[in-house]
Amino acid sequence: MAGLELKSLYKSYGEVEVIKGVDLSVDHGEFVVFVGPSGCGKSTLLRMIAGLEEITGGELWIGDTLCNAVEPRDRGIAMVFQSYALYPHMTVYENMGFGLKLAKTPKDVRDAKIREAARILQMENLLERKPGQLSGGQRQRVAIGRAIVRKPEVFLFDEPLSNLDAALRVDMRMELSKLHDELGSTMIYVTHDQVEAMTLADKIVVLNGGVVQQVGSPIELYQRPANLFVAGFIGSPKMNFAPVNVDRVEGTSVTISGKDIAAMTLEIPLNAVQAGDVLTIGVRPHDLVPSPSGAIVGRIGLIERLGNETNVNIELPSGASWLAVLDGDQALQRGASLIMNLDRAKIAVFDAGGQAVTAEKPLA
Amino acid sequence: MSFIRKYWLSAVAILVSVVVFLVPFAFIVLTAFKDPKQASLLDFSWPQGNYLWGNIVEVVTTRNWMLVTAFVNSSILTVASVALLVIFGAMVGFVLQRRKTRLNGLIEFLILAGLMIPPAVVPTIWLLQGIQLFGRLHGLILIEVAYGLPFTILLYRAFISTIPRELDEAAIIDGARPFDVFFKVILPLLWPVTVTNIVVQSVAIFNDFTNPLYYLPGNANATVQLTLYNFQSQFNTSYNLLFTNIVLITIPPLIVFLFFNRQIVAGMTAGAVKG
Amino acid sequence: MADMTQSGLAVTPARIAAPRRRSPYPGWFFLPAAIIYGVLFLLPTVASLYFSLTRWTLFNSTFIGLDNFAQFLREPFLIKGLINTVIYAVITSSMKVVLGLLLAVLLTSQIAARGYLRSVVFFPVLVSTVGVGITFTVLMHPTNGMINEGLALLGIKGPGWLVNPNLALYSVALVDVWKGVGLATVIYIAGIVAIPRDYYEAARIDGATKLQNFFYITLPLCRPATSTVIILSFIGGLRTFDLIWAMTRGGPGFASDTVASVIYKQYQSGFYGLSTAGNVVLFVLIAVLVVPLTMMLNRKEGHE
Repeated sequence: MAGLELKSLYKSYGEVEVIKGVDLSVDHGEFVVFVGPSGCGKSTLLRMIAGLEEITGGELWIGDTLCNAVEPRDRGIAMVFQSYALYPHMTVYENMGFGLKLAKTPKDVRDAKIREAARILQMENLLERKPGQLSGGQRQRVAIGRAIVRKPEVFLFDEPLSNLDAALRVDMRMELSKLHDELGSTMIYVTHDQVEAMTLADKIVVLNGGVVQQVGSPIELYQRPANLFVAGFIGSPKMNFAPVNVDRVEGTSVTISGKDIAAMTLEIPLNAVQAGDVLTIGVRPHDLVPSPSGAIVGRIGLIERLGNETNVNIELPSGASWLAVLDGDQALQRGASLIMNLDRAKIAVFDAGGQAVTAEKPLA
Repeated sequence: MSFIRKYWLSAVAILVSVVVFLVPFAFIVLTAFKDPKQASLLDFSWPQGNYLWGNIVEVVTTRNWMLVTAFVNSSILTVASVALLVIFGAMVGFVLQRRKTRLNGLIEFLILAGLMIPPAVVPTIWLLQGIQLFGRLHGLILIEVAYGLPFTILLYRAFISTIPRELDEAAIIDGARPFDVFFKVILPLLWPVTVTNIVVQSVAIFNDFTNPLYYLPGNANATVQLTLYNFQSQFNTSYNLLFTNIVLITIPPLIVFLFFNRQIVAGMTAGAVKG
Repeated sequence: MADMTQSGLAVTPARIAAPRRRSPYPGWFFLPAAIIYGVLFLLPTVASLYFSLTRWTLFNSTFIGLDNFAQFLREPFLIKGLINTVIYAVITSSMKVVLGLLLAVLLTSQIAARGYLRSVVFFPVLVSTVGVGITFTVLMHPTNGMINEGLALLGIKGPGWLVNPNLALYSVALVDVWKGVGLATVIYIAGIVAIPRDYYEAARIDGATKLQNFFYITLPLCRPATSTVIILSFIGGLRTFDLIWAMTRGGPGFASDTVASVIYKQYQSGFYGLSTAGNVVLFVLIAVLVVPLTMMLNRKEGHE
């Protein structure tokens, strides 16, 4: 049984801090995804857990062991790399058995483990090939097989699907999910693709600039983003934002208006905002509905017709551009004006510092 | 038009190459077939009779089978020096490329210095005498290693930079210790540049004349290049034997050439152009 | 410890300094090479700086200041060696650059018998320098030599390649080019092959001629190869010894002496201090010429 505990982890290269105090606990068997834009420190954090990067400060616990000074081979981890990092001069069989061989595992035990892993991944027929003779998807399997063979407490994945083409990526995503169910081990997965994060994770950790932005289940992050960054990062297409002013506060009813938004009243917790505050509201493109009596008026720009839905770019009076995703095929004209309503219960509200103004909305 | 021009150019190129490059080699081989009298004419003519075997026997047995001793010495020298160069050079190239420390600048400076600075001959002799290695084969082996290291390291470092670091990391995660990472994962992958190094260094060391001349005096220690002076004297040079000797000592490089011709160009691409 | 000097965050109690693990790239990998190189190359080089200032018998040395160097600059034959070295290096390296590039362009084009030509040009690189030297000494014999006999067939009276004091050095340089041009060609071939075909195709659409291709694409884009060839052959030229020794022994007289052959001659005569001073002179000569040359070649490269 191995969970993980990250206590105030720091990493700096000379003067430059790249991980700025990360606290996180991961339960045994959890599938955790680190997600964030490139350069946010997600890979560095993973490599610190792996032992490939020195930990500058803080504590890393894997199971009951403080691992800061433990060699990677003794951490009970296995890792799948973005480029797969298969040893080109060894066959698939040798690649998968290399770690066991180094650990001086008896030959028959080794053989059994390799064949077992090959069976799970359905690649028994590839064992005698060299990595150079495999397709991208097959290499990916071997890399995963190499990790499985070692029966690690914790699997680490560093953007493992980013070198695959789109269709294969969807397949492998499902296989990884299945694998997690079968093995029941702890998995930590790094990606910049928020769709992967949403579909795979039990728990998502959103990172930006070396700081954890939010930790939660995919649906929590989608529905209750903790700040502007998470709101903008999670969800596809991106959330629309507009600045608004607080006109009036009466208990929990708050009236707001802005250049692009007609006055409307929202339910906001008591004393969270005051009249005169500047807020940012966020609306998901799917939550915009054309309606003759809407709060938003704009001019239709680019229209993308996908058949089952229609993506409409709308230019707002302030010059900002919003995207609306409308159901079905809509008969719209570029240049025409469009009035839209928005679902008040689903509006996200952020204060001037970009933090969510926590509204106790029930989860849908 | 261009068809004719292409063949015209090819024909000229082949003709020039024959005159400039093949004729000298043909001259060497032809002379090795001649008897002393015809050889001394130094002309480009067909041998009157085949004296090659007799010439070979005489060259090999001259001065108490000196050529055989020399071949043994040169072979030991070449094999041992190249083996050490490959292992030690690859080790340095690996750590130098992978680990960035303050020492790197100094090490790179020393490597470039080694490529440029001519070895200080007499102080080296003085030092070899001090550590009892002067006039000994293993002393010369170490000398060849010392002089060959900079170039070997540069070739290795350039090639190692093309091997993704993730491979080292995968091995580390798999439980490899530094020794395993290098010898089991990296070194096998260096094979193409190792071949280049082996070819370049073994030819250079086998053909080396200067260093044996300085550091390995004495007939018992002769290397093949020094045997060429057996048949040359100011007044009476046995040209048939001299050129037979040249033919014999050119055989090893020729074999290397036949086997590795292709890899040399490939290795140069990796090392010399980028490096 | 370093943690304490960093930002305010560093002193928060939550931040615990971690013990260091050992690098996967161990420093002792340098050790065997460092010992051999340090003892057999660096140490003598440093020692040469001292011994060049002495009268030296290998057993004892007397400090005589700069006398050895003064003698070097006084003796005409030593000066001659210095000048010869520079001439030799300039001639051989420039010829290798020009011929190497032309051959490489030729041997990467659609020429017939390309494989044969590449092999035949490269083969002399692998042959013993002394063997080549001896062979060409015979071929360049003023009366019986094949070269002059060949020229006589064409009605030309060949010169005394190695016996004419004004010509000997240049004759040896020519043989050096004959032996070494293959290496320059191989380096250039590698450089030319590495140029993406796209550039030539783009140029073709722009209507470039073959000559323009050469001057505007091939030449600038194989600049790294040019640098390598120039530096390698220039240093090689300055240090050259075995070919000169095999062909002329610095003769006739001192006409083809270079610094390296002077070093050997002084060593043979037992003037160890003077020989070592020659080493230092050669070292300085190389540093003075090659360092600026390297910097110039690299700087121009940076501008592109």
